[in-house]
Amino acid sequence: MDPHVLSVAQYLDLVNQALRQVPSDQTVVEGEVSDFRIAQGKWVSFDLKDEQEEAVLKCFMTTWQLKVQIESGMRVQVKGYPKVYERFGSFKMNVQEVAPVGEGALRRAYELLKKKMEAEGLFDVSRKRSLSRFPERIGLITSRDAAAYGDFLRILNNRWGGVVVEHAHVHVQGRQAVKEIVGAFQYFNALSESERPDALVLTRGGGGLEDLHAFNDEGVARAIFSSSIPVVCAVGHERDESLADFVADVRASTPSNAAERVVPSRSDVSYEIETMARHMEERMRDHIEMRSRVIERATGSISFILERQKERFRAAHERLMVAGEDWLPLIRSELEGLARVLRQVDPKRVLARGYSIVTVNGAVVADASKVGVGQEVGVQLAAGSFDAQVTRVDGKGQQKLV
Amino acid sequence: MPAKKKINFAKAFEELEEITQWFDSEENLDLDKGLKQFERGLELAGELKKKLSEVENKVESIKEKFAG
Repeated sequence: MDPHVLSVAQYLDLVNQALRQVPSDQTVVEGEVSDFRIAQGKWVSFDLKDEQEEAVLKCFMTTWQLKVQIESGMRVQVKGYPKVYERFGSFKMNVQEVAPVGEGALRRAYELLKKKMEAEGLFDVSRKRSLSRFPERIGLITSRDAAAYGDFLRILNNRWGGVVVEHAHVHVQGRQAVKEIVGAFQYFNALSESERPDALVLTRGGGGLEDLHAFNDEGVARAIFSSSIPVVCAVGHERDESLADFVADVRASTPSNAAERVVPSRSDVSYEIETMARHMEERMRDHIEMRSRVIERATGSISFILERQKERFRAAHERLMVAGEDWLPLIRSELEGLARVLRQVDPKRVLARGYSIVTVNGAVVADASKVGVGQEVGVQLAAGSFDAQVTRVDGKGQQKLV
Repeated sequence: MPAKKKINFAKAFEELEEITQWFDSEENLDLDKGLKQFERGLELAGELKKKLSEVENKVESIKEKFAG
């Protein structure tokens, strides 16, 4: 039987077809990285070696596929398709996924990625946004099965009310975690302005580097970075850190702390409101008292205005009675004090007791020496007024008619 | 969606802050305007305090699946 004659290309094509029989989907290859290099910022190549046996697998991938930071000496697992590259006649693995193995390699990959993102400015303090003080909607990204979920909501309820929490249930570890967390960020950011939460909270309990991988994933970090909604990130206990923490606008130490950062406490705000109300009231009273002294001197024509002001106070007072909060009696009694002051200086009340006001050309006369015999004066009584002529001043003037 | 008839806490609080500040910034406070501001301030304080007594937060679960 004559052998088949094939061209080189045809032959390599045949070999590559045969290589597709390798169960690549179910296979990962573990080894140590050496000769790691990146060409033109796009093409990644490295050798995967066995430590014991002398065996080398040449690997090739693009920087877009490289989701973690790799360097020579790192122990990794790779997943991909074997292929003979026709142009170079070389056998390589076309790598789809690469993941560091072991705590040491994970730690190293984490440090490298952190350094890279830091250099890119993803952690810059200058880009951190502040949270709105009184949020109405909060987007919560965590697993409903996590303790963090309960902790966050419990503290939130203790501190503040009336908030709508939109919960996006995601895995916070495992294979789906990254995709789901990134998806949740996309979901919230795609909402219309009116439905969009005021803040997003990404949280989970503590754990080792392996558990926290999703929170150290570059994709998740970039999703936080590009979120147009401010992000609060809270991972585990005080000591745990993650890349998500560094990128977030606010880094909370625990899920409970995230709730503390995202809403104010009722008692603080309540005190603040009371203080403001009391401050306004004090300023108002100062001015009214000052005015009262002026009014006292001017009297007469002012009484109408005074009457109106009193009416305003009464109305405000009544509204407060209706509101009936326990802090209001304080302000209410202050208001009553004010009304009393105004009543005391109201010239009408003085006139009601039988006094009258004497004026010359509209000016109040408080000194008899200021008027002359024969001069016309106005006299204001509680009811009505009359004009009169001066006949005697301090006993001097016309004879008294008997 | 929550009914929008509820007062916006942030806006009301901000207005109360502005009014309180106004009282301090006016050297010669106009009594008439002062009273108007005072009434508005008390009204806001009352509403805010009432809103503070809301205890419940509402949790809405998003139906969407985020897995790719």
